[in-house]
Amino acid sequence: MKLLTRTNRYYLLLTTALFALGGVVLYFSLNRALRSEVDEQLLAQQQALALSWHPAPPGLGSAGDSLQVSRRPLPGGLREVARYDAQEQEMVPYRELSFPVRRGGATYWLTVRKSLLETDDLLLVVLSVMLAVLGGLLLSLALLTRWLTRRLWAPFQRTLGELRGYELHRRGPLALPATPVDEFTELNQALTQMSARLAADYRSLKEFTENAAHETQTPLAIMQAQLEQLAQDDTLQPASAALVGELYGTTRRLSRLHRALTLLSKIENEQFTQAVPLQLHQVLAERTEQLRDRLAARDLDLRVELTSGPTLLMDASLADSLVHNLLQNALKHNQRGGFVWVTLHAGALEVANTGPAIAGDPSRFFERFRKHNAASDSPGLGLSIVRHICQLYGFTLSYDFAPAGSVHTLRVDFGQKTA
Amino acid sequence: MKILLVEDEPALRAAIVDCLRQGGYLVEVAPTYEVAYEKIKLYQYDCVLVDLTLPDGNGLDVVRTLKADNSAAGVLIISARGALDDKLEGLHLGADDYLVKPFHLSELNARLTAIIRRRQFRGQHHLAFRDLVVWPDETRVLVRGEVLTLTRKEYDLLLYLLASPRRVLTKESIAEHLWGDEADAADSFDFLYTHFKNLRRKLQEKGADNYIQTIYGIGYRLQAE
Repeated sequence: MKLLTRTNRYYLLLTTALFALGGVVLYFSLNRALRSEVDEQLLAQQQALALSWHPAPPGLGSAGDSLQVSRRPLPGGLREVARYDAQEQEMVPYRELSFPVRRGGATYWLTVRKSLLETDDLLLVVLSVMLAVLGGLLLSLALLTRWLTRRLWAPFQRTLGELRGYELHRRGPLALPATPVDEFTELNQALTQMSARLAADYRSLKEFTENAAHETQTPLAIMQAQLEQLAQDDTLQPASAALVGELYGTTRRLSRLHRALTLLSKIENEQFTQAVPLQLHQVLAERTEQLRDRLAARDLDLRVELTSGPTLLMDASLADSLVHNLLQNALKHNQRGGFVWVTLHAGALEVANTGPAIAGDPSRFFERFRKHNAASDSPGLGLSIVRHICQLYGFTLSYDFAPAGSVHTLRVDFGQKTA
Repeated sequence: MKILLVEDEPALRAAIVDCLRQGGYLVEVAPTYEVAYEKIKLYQYDCVLVDLTLPDGNGLDVVRTLKADNSAAGVLIISARGALDDKLEGLHLGADDYLVKPFHLSELNARLTAIIRRRQFRGQHHLAFRDLVVWPDETRVLVRGEVLTLTRKEYDLLLYLLASPRRVLTKESIAEHLWGDEADAADSFDFLYTHFKNLRRKLQEKGADNYIQTIYGIGYRLQAE
């Protein structure tokens, strides 16, 4: 709900309550004032009649509708009665006053009355006017809100638009203008400062990642080169040579691990911004070709089905990494004599492979350093990299296991990202 | 063969120089951009190995200077910067190849041999080792004049060994040379073993026995008699 609508709702609630209360108070006080006015008139009539009234000769009837004469005693005082009014053709409320008058030894009971119809009409008019004013107020408030939203909130909408389209890695800090409204100006200032801090953080993070990537590789390069030179030593004992070999392998592992982690943080920091349209089936064809050797060595059957592969807007090295890691995974967790089926069509890439069933929660397979086999040399970053690349480009990644035939399937849906 | 190595890291420089001298190259070194600039202006080299991040400049400027002078020297960039952009820029400037740190010294040897072969003999060159002669441009291998038929991978393997004869090649470097980044799979050393077994058998059939020596725990070596 919009802020103004919400404010207005409370405002209206209060106004309506006040109007209702005012209406009730007004009704009762008006009612009282009008009735006491009628009572005063009736009492004045009583005084006048007590002095000047004479019984009319019989047969002439009563003198007007408002005066009734009776010989029977009547209860005295003021009271309210409903009588049928022939003119209005309905029951009409009356105020009447009965009192005794002595004339020539006899006691007559006189009753004077006044219609309350006008009084009720007046009340009705007052209440309708109040309702009309309330309605008018509601309507004008609604119009005012619309106008205010368009005019007063315009700077806010502009700020919102800027924020929606803001991409940290494309541009520097936000530059939001001052507005005529103090609150919005403060908001803009706070946002500008925050984005400046974010941009600085992003820069230092990026620098750190780059430095870590370059600077760590140099000592690794030294270690590796020196170990390789040490391996040339003919006087090396077999046991020492084996150690050198181990160390050499470990150095390579460390270097690969470092590269994979650097890649992950670069994806997370969205440092891959050079998307080019590329044909995924070409990447796939190259990568599957490189695998032929290993597939043959493990009696794995590779079937690749490429039906008009999609053109994706992606960084070339990430597309390669995505395909490479999916295929590596399908090979690594396969069993002798099994298969790898790769299907690519316009909407999705699917890699299915045979392999032993894996215990545990499938959603955790995509976590970092998640290894099915703890003794494995691979750091277990492959699927994590796949997931990050999918997240970066808005692809949907899903995993499925069919117990019949023990088939694992990883599927990447490209969604609307196809170019 | 005269090589200039432009590298600021002393320990790495020493290891590379050591390796190249063992391979029979004449090596000069330049630890800074300034020294490198002076040397390429004064002397002729067959190949220049240049690191991109130097304390007083950018290695790419060394490449630019060489190209501006129309130097005949081959250029091999060695850099810790593995980004595709750096690689493309280096190659665009006219570098022959680009090697990302950390690298295998034997891979460096292989790339260097390929560059010098391409530059100096316009491809008309063969590699010979004991009774073995390889014509890389015709992909032909002869053992005492007899044609040896090899698979693509076996041929690549033999060529890689021939680039660093008598040198111990680690199994990691061979696997990565043959399979690129697919080599990190756990079973890559098993295939390597299979390929070596087949290559040895084929050499043996042609009477070339004991060419390839296994170094326990480390790798393989093309050995002299």
